[in-house]
Amino acid sequence: MSLFQIVPDRSQVNKQEIILSIRDLSVEYQTRRGVLSAIDTLSLDLYKGEVLGLVGESGSGKSTLGKAIMRMIPQPGRITKGQLIFKNQDLMQYDEKQMRDVRGKQISMIFQDPMTSLNPVQRIDNHIIEAIRVHEPSVTKDEALSRSESLMERLGIGRRRLNEYPHQLSGGMRQRVMIGLALALKANIIIADEATTSLDVIVEAQFLDLLRELKDEFGLTILLVTHNIGIVAELADRVAVMYAGRLAEVSSVDELFHNPKHPYTQGLLRSVPNIAMDSQDLYRMDGTPPNLVMPPSGCRFHPRCPHVMDICHQKQPWLVRVDEIGEGDEQVGGYDKHLASCWLHQEYQGSTQARRY
Amino acid sequence: MELTFGTLCGGGLLIVGLFLLYAIMTGSRSLRNYVITRLLLVLPMIWILVTLVFVMMRVLPGDPISTRLKPGTDQATLDRLRERAGLDRPIYEQYWDYLNDIAHGDLGVSNNVEQDRPVTQIIGRRLPATIELVMPAITLMLIFGIAAGALSANKHKRTLDYSFRITSVVAYAVPIFWLGLMLQIVFARQLEFLPVAQRINPRFANDFTHRTNIYLIDTLLSGNGQAFGDVLKHLVLPTITLTIALIGVFIRLTRSNMIEVLQEDYVTASRARGVPERKVVYFHALRNSFIPIMTLIGLQVAVLLAGAVLTETTFSWDGLGKLLRDGIALRDYPVVQGTVVVFAITVGVMSTLTDILYAFIDPRIRF
Amino acid sequence: MATTTVEMYVKPRTSIMGTIRKTWRTWGGVSLVIAIILAILHLGVKLDGAKGLLQIWLVFNVLFATALILSSQTVRQARRWHGADWWLAMISGLILVLFIIIGIIPEYLAPYVYDVEAGPARLGPREVPANYILITRVELPYENFADIGYDINTGELIERTSNAKSIAAIDEKANRIVGQERDTAGIKVEINRDATGLQPIEALNILSTSDVTADRGRPLVAIVGEESQFKDLVSEYPNLRIVGTVGPAYKGGFLFGTNLLGQDVFSRLLYGTQNTLMIGISAAICSCLLGIPLGLISGYLGGILDRVLSLVMDSLYAFPGLVLAIAIAAVLGPGIGNIILAIAVIYVPTYFRLVRSQTLAIREVAYVEAAKSLGATNPIILIRYIFPNVIASVVVIFSINVADAILTGAGLAFLGLGLPETVPDWGVDLSKGSQFVLGGEWWLVTFPGLAIALLTLCFSMLGESLSEILNPRLNRA
Repeated sequence: MSLFQIVPDRSQVNKQEIILSIRDLSVEYQTRRGVLSAIDTLSLDLYKGEVLGLVGESGSGKSTLGKAIMRMIPQPGRITKGQLIFKNQDLMQYDEKQMRDVRGKQISMIFQDPMTSLNPVQRIDNHIIEAIRVHEPSVTKDEALSRSESLMERLGIGRRRLNEYPHQLSGGMRQRVMIGLALALKANIIIADEATTSLDVIVEAQFLDLLRELKDEFGLTILLVTHNIGIVAELADRVAVMYAGRLAEVSSVDELFHNPKHPYTQGLLRSVPNIAMDSQDLYRMDGTPPNLVMPPSGCRFHPRCPHVMDICHQKQPWLVRVDEIGEGDEQVGGYDKHLASCWLHQEYQGSTQARRY
Repeated sequence: MELTFGTLCGGGLLIVGLFLLYAIMTGSRSLRNYVITRLLLVLPMIWILVTLVFVMMRVLPGDPISTRLKPGTDQATLDRLRERAGLDRPIYEQYWDYLNDIAHGDLGVSNNVEQDRPVTQIIGRRLPATIELVMPAITLMLIFGIAAGALSANKHKRTLDYSFRITSVVAYAVPIFWLGLMLQIVFARQLEFLPVAQRINPRFANDFTHRTNIYLIDTLLSGNGQAFGDVLKHLVLPTITLTIALIGVFIRLTRSNMIEVLQEDYVTASRARGVPERKVVYFHALRNSFIPIMTLIGLQVAVLLAGAVLTETTFSWDGLGKLLRDGIALRDYPVVQGTVVVFAITVGVMSTLTDILYAFIDPRIRF
Repeated sequence: MATTTVEMYVKPRTSIMGTIRKTWRTWGGVSLVIAIILAILHLGVKLDGAKGLLQIWLVFNVLFATALILSSQTVRQARRWHGADWWLAMISGLILVLFIIIGIIPEYLAPYVYDVEAGPARLGPREVPANYILITRVELPYENFADIGYDINTGELIERTSNAKSIAAIDEKANRIVGQERDTAGIKVEINRDATGLQPIEALNILSTSDVTADRGRPLVAIVGEESQFKDLVSEYPNLRIVGTVGPAYKGGFLFGTNLLGQDVFSRLLYGTQNTLMIGISAAICSCLLGIPLGLISGYLGGILDRVLSLVMDSLYAFPGLVLAIAIAAVLGPGIGNIILAIAVIYVPTYFRLVRSQTLAIREVAYVEAAKSLGATNPIILIRYIFPNVIASVVVIFSINVADAILTGAGLAFLGLGLPETVPDWGVDLSKGSQFVLGGEWWLVTFPGLAIALLTLCFSMLGESLSEILNPRLNRA
């Protein structure tokens, strides 16, 4: 119960300004068994100041999307098509050097395991000093040090800790250091890739509180990649649900939890345990995530879908608006809109408003 | 104070001692404990190695006296020789004497290599030559091995990587003494611009004072440029041989360590912070892969000593390795055993030192 | 991620091992029994023809196994995933098969037998020597050079030639024989050194008139001389006859030249393959047989036993292998068995450490825990669950280890601790030849060394590429 009740404060969100726009992005991996399509023609907008939760099962491509935004898809994968519009520039056109200036400075990433994400033989302060000086070579070491000290103070890490090595810190502290690294460069967007998964529940709660405070304080835009619906409910403004490399549903948190449209989202929400629930009510989704080397035809969810129809086998549904369309509301997509890609909402697929989003 | 090999060794020990003292004084408590524990473990380790030598040479079937004598030597002579070597006594007594002698720095007396001279004295005179050969080889190995390994890992599965890998496998597969012989044939015999063997042209041998017996240092101290050049020339082929012998394994090990490190999360994380690729590879990754490389250098000591035996034999280089070979050829049992014991002690000491250095580099190790 | 956790609960199985296992079930057992029977017939009963059958059988099996491996699904699939590594493994593997076949049947491939003095000593590669004839008295029954050599009443032989090389070789031979160890050298022909300075006509006079040479009271039984100088003169002596040319015809010279005994270097290389391979592979197998079980038990059981074993093995590992082998070989004395033992001892720790560390890791993996909870006993867990997982990395190490062992064996031979000089072995040949490097006989060291390098190269290349192919960590996308 308690999980879903916290309504985040959305006052900071600028509903007009899209800070990052992902357009028709596809990522493929060359594997032993063939070409694996990890992300298939995905489009998504990130609004300035929002927290967008990106949820999905393991292997749904949510982490890949995070890496793709940074253009850090490891070999043998590559981005095969699409655009990444950031501040009116297409990141896909950037060369490696320009991209380096974006990484860390504009878009920053926090990884799952804070233990392995910090260089074990480098002291904490050196991590931060390096990060600052890579992007601002003019800053002296002392300046960088004093900047990192005040920053770390804000994050609740004492000056003494800066002299220590990563293994001497606790998991929560390390994750705060990771945030500190992102903040030190005043990044606009932070991609948190399963950033709380390795933390225990209490530390996780503290960490989320901190993240919320920092978001308002620094005006951050956060892409929260996670498989934990609870965290999304607590922190996110909007949610994007990914399934098998495609978006199943995008909407505000409230809307998604109270009125999920896509059968996958419905199943996902019902399979989250809840204290108030009887354990028998817990929903178990049939089947396994699809093999992305040979994805199912049409809608990729159809082999597991309880409402499967003929057309689901044949045609891929588009992501379209599924909420009430107001008067004169021509615009497809947008911050407040509820989108889903499912043939159940066929009327929308067929309507004039149905434009591929 | 006059500079001799003894004072040189003393100086080296002093530096090591100061380093350890520094480690103990300034390091954190855990580092201090580690260094002290590790130092205390040197003696047991040397004891094990030395015992190993004893077991190999005395307890295994076979008998150092009879196997290396001419067939047909009569029983009385054999018995006399055995008695002289103390091989007729019970094994535990022999073992006790053996340990006792080593502890007192007594490695017996040579029978054939240098008649009736204490083995320790012979080793003391040959050691500088080995050091003169080994030091440049190690330096070259570190420089080229790490550079090639890092480059190779950086270009994993690309042409450069494959060519370095093949080079390393080839360098590893070539018998080291054969390589030495081939170098002799090509550079010394056919092209005639480098000397074939020995440490120095006998012409120059008495032109300078033999203080340390490391000729490079001696000739420099005497200010004899010609002799110094000659020593350098003599050093070229053996050093190349030994370096190639060492570098094969080393490139391979640096490469695989680097590849593993490059797949670590913190490498990805620093890339995500926009750290330039070159800095990621040659600073973060290389520094971290240094940690396992440290231990490898400890293990390389073994390869190095084995390589020294073969290189010195090929180039008639009067060091410990050739002493061992001479001991075998002349059936001089005390010399063989003494040299092997010295090798064992070297291995024990070096592995301790690398472990301590390791703890210095890797903050995680100090337990 | 979830997928990796799922994998952890499934008993992993390497497909290459699967192929080998399957093949072994259908063919290996029968084949091995037949090979052992033939080997007993050959070595034990000394049945005529058993050796030939054994050789044919072994070659057939090697070819069969090669074909089987090449045609297997796994190998063909591996080509697509690991292009360059696959090719490296293939090429080195095929060269190794070639070496093995040569090692099994050298006598069918070599132009000369390894210990036959096929031509003049120290002949360079492809160098055509002058034609030599063997002249003896009519009443003596010699039909070739070897007859004289094996005659109990060894006579003296005058070799008269203008070929400087040949004279040098005769000097060498004479020195050796007069100087020491007549029996062990295996050469029973004595050459009168002084006589080499004689003119052809003087030498023939001595042979035809006196049956006792002047200085040492031995009968002169034959002369070896250049055909052009002697042939016409011989017809003037009724009691002398020309037996024939010395050794088989060597019109085209010798591919890799001859050594200082006049033996064909190439043939000795082919014959030497057997001993070199034998030393390398047997030593590696011995190390495996000792190291793997110890590592398994030590890693699995832990406790005091593990501590003690690890300590001993670590010390052994830290010790310079060659030096240790020298010490052991020096004590054990010569002989192929002793050399194999000396080399095997130094590689036990390699397997021990590898197997132990892997056992430690696998012991904690979920499927072993699961097996334990189902009541599997320790031996069953060790054999059925842990061993199959360890063995894949052992295969890789084994291949590299054979290369190591061959190098160590050659090193021992170079230091004078190898096989006896009469036995063909690359290391021994190389070691013997090394004394003549500065005399200009480069072929005596170059070719055996190249052979060793090629063989070790193939073994380590195979191991290297196999590890790259089998190592899932480096290949994961």
